[in-house]
Amino acid sequence: MNGAVGVVQMISNISDAAWLVNNATAGPYMAVVNTALFLDVIDLFMFMPNNVAGILVYQNGTARPKTFSQESTCPNEVSSDPVSQCPSSSGMSWNMGGTGLLRRNIPFPIFYLPQTRIEEIDKINNCFQRYNLDRANQNGKPLCSIQLKSRIVSLFRCFCLNTMHAHYPERYNLDRAYQNGRPLCSIQLKSFMFAAVNSEVCLRRSTTSALLTPTKVCDPLGDQNVYFSLFPRGKEILKNKPITLVTARIDTASLFDGLAPGAASSVVGMVTLLMSAVTLTKMMPVSDSHLYDSNVVWNLFNGETFDYIGSQRVAYEMKFGSWPSFAPLDSSDVKLHIELGQIGGSLNLYSENTSWPLYAYAADSYTPVTEFLNEMLMNAKQFNMTLLPVFTKNLPPSSLHSFRRILKNETENGELPEVLLVDYKDTFTNSYYESVFDDADNIGFVYRNISVGPDGQFVPTSDLLANGTMREWDVQVKISRLATALALTMYQRVAGKPYAADIAASAHLADEMLYCFLRSQACRLLLAADYATSAVEVPTASAPPLYVGVAALSNTPAIFAGHLLVLLAGTQLSLNKTACDSLDKPGFSYYWLRGWNHTGVCMQTTMNFTQAVSPAFLLQDYDMSSGMYSTWTESVWAAMWARVFVSGGGGGARVAACAGAAATLAAALLTYWLSKHADVLFKQPADSIVNDAASGRKNKFRRAARIGRVQRTALLKRANLKRY
Amino acid sequence: MDLNRLPNDKKLQLCRWYFRVGCLLLPFAWAVNAVWFFNEAFVKPPFEEQKQIKKYVLISAVGAAVWACALIAWVTVFQMNRVLWGATGDMLSFIVPLGRA
Repeated sequence: MNGAVGVVQMISNISDAAWLVNNATAGPYMAVVNTALFLDVIDLFMFMPNNVAGILVYQNGTARPKTFSQESTCPNEVSSDPVSQCPSSSGMSWNMGGTGLLRRNIPFPIFYLPQTRIEEIDKINNCFQRYNLDRANQNGKPLCSIQLKSRIVSLFRCFCLNTMHAHYPERYNLDRAYQNGRPLCSIQLKSFMFAAVNSEVCLRRSTTSALLTPTKVCDPLGDQNVYFSLFPRGKEILKNKPITLVTARIDTASLFDGLAPGAASSVVGMVTLLMSAVTLTKMMPVSDSHLYDSNVVWNLFNGETFDYIGSQRVAYEMKFGSWPSFAPLDSSDVKLHIELGQIGGSLNLYSENTSWPLYAYAADSYTPVTEFLNEMLMNAKQFNMTLLPVFTKNLPPSSLHSFRRILKNETENGELPEVLLVDYKDTFTNSYYESVFDDADNIGFVYRNISVGPDGQFVPTSDLLANGTMREWDVQVKISRLATALALTMYQRVAGKPYAADIAASAHLADEMLYCFLRSQACRLLLAADYATSAVEVPTASAPPLYVGVAALSNTPAIFAGHLLVLLAGTQLSLNKTACDSLDKPGFSYYWLRGWNHTGVCMQTTMNFTQAVSPAFLLQDYDMSSGMYSTWTESVWAAMWARVFVSGGGGGARVAACAGAAATLAAALLTYWLSKHADVLFKQPADSIVNDAASGRKNKFRRAARIGRVQRTALLKRANLKRY
Repeated sequence: MDLNRLPNDKKLQLCRWYFRVGCLLLPFAWAVNAVWFFNEAFVKPPFEEQKQIKKYVLISAVGAAVWACALIAWVTVFQMNRVLWGATGDMLSFIVPLGRA
């Protein structure tokens, strides 16, 4: 509860780790290890955790480990379609480098310090080394005193106490054989979690109304899905058209709180979907909806990292014909489901050339699937992109698994025409799947910072390429081309004919969107897409963490994505705020956003949010052990911090204890002796009368005086007799 | 209160009251009664009310002991089985420990 405390041990190679778990005697130890070595030692620490108090992982330099993924080798394995196999028959797993720490019970805390905080590691190392090597500095000089804030630990405090004296000859971390009973540089990591056992137990304890301590110990994971349809849909709109569902995921995760960049695993797919949706809306304005007999629904799932929370909820509600609640659609209305999976992993592999090989996974070759593949291949080809169809039941981790598991028997003939677009075959190209390294650098994103036109005009990709601002192989260009290809294919599906005009997704827009999600929330797009309020709150200039978080609190990424759709794909109405707020047309919702001029704009949109909370938490009598739906919960914690200090050698404490015991014993003996000899010490005169001592004493003196006088008289008489 | 200063009839009255209060599922009152009046009941030279005091002290002592045994047994059983009992264990708990089963 007070945090894990351990003696610092800098781990510079595997033998250090082996010494720590096998031979070290002054434990437990806090292993300070860099990310490159982390994978090599974590299994050893997990296997023999008795001497390990915790691990402090740090990123040193820009060189990254070859793989770094705390997700399991087969992500979301238990929620996958039972037909799919991982590892496959050839022994390949999707996430070969995964340690699975996210899904394992780790018996000690693990903290992470990013490269930007490397000076803390220098200080710890200094503290560790100095105690042994720099003897001249040990004579009562304060060694270090640092107070700082870290990104992951709320308060990281390092203070080395001024308790060193020359008469301890060797007492330091490096002198391994003599560590016991000596002052040592130590670290305390506090990340005490309230919840215990499993979701069932912690939820039960959270709901039990205790008289004294109504403590919530955990909350279900969840957030919001983002829904957007090309043409309005709704209960009031009589004929609901057949649907093409295009989906991607919003969220990702990492082992460390507040650090979930998810560039390759989710952001590239999400940005591609957003741009494609925006482009298609421009190709097919809402006003033309009466011309077409089918519709496209774009949906972003949230919580997919944790056993497909968002897609399970959608599939579950679709099963009962209640998704989305404002315009329910039947699973048989969905003629084709296209999922943009993890497509950012290979971008860095092809950072210097134009290729970006994509794979289209499909379980069955139904007609809509092959039609889509043919059209998509044609459209991709004009941008020199390759798309290789892969027909297999063994689908990679994606939200398709939720639909396959939950809706398999729901459609009339069991058909689920589904396609998954990814950038890998057999195994992930992203070696940092759901980790802190899956950031902008992992996809080779460099922000170009091009100014946006007054009404949100973006520079067309062709212009950017022509004037040399961007090159063919930039991620922005690649993403905009994929988005355009997908929009063209969707146009063809809806209109039944190829697109003839020249609207295309802009690499400039991709640049801005990637910047918002990967570099800074305080970006042009999000400022314009925010609600127009009187007070402008500029968000922090850092990437929003894409971890789904708890259902009770709405996280920013889904809201950002939704608002971007409103701003970029909505219809702008020239109304003031009051008129805008009073609008209520079926199938639409209205947003009063800040707009590009920051004066406020009224946007009409089909965008809406739906709940991304697992059905497990809706059902009253759901059996948590059934494994049917995601039941992930997050523990509540009070504080998360770390501090470095020099632990006392124990000598002072021992002296204090001995002195205290001796003083107590001496006092007891003295008291015993005093009470035993009380009659000697406080002796009272034997013939005194207690009650009237004063008068008695007076009489006594008088009597004595009289006796004296009598005696003197007698003596005088005797003397007289002698004289005579 | 100094029992030595109390007349014997008052002692009996007090002892009887402590016994009665203990009957309201308050074994600590019995335990106090048994300890407090032990000298009056068994050590002091005989007096008229001593026999009755002796009776109350004995019953109080036995009652307190039975209570103690029952409580210790229950606490032991509960502490050892709280986790095993699952939902029932949590329901019976006034304070559920944080961060562990």
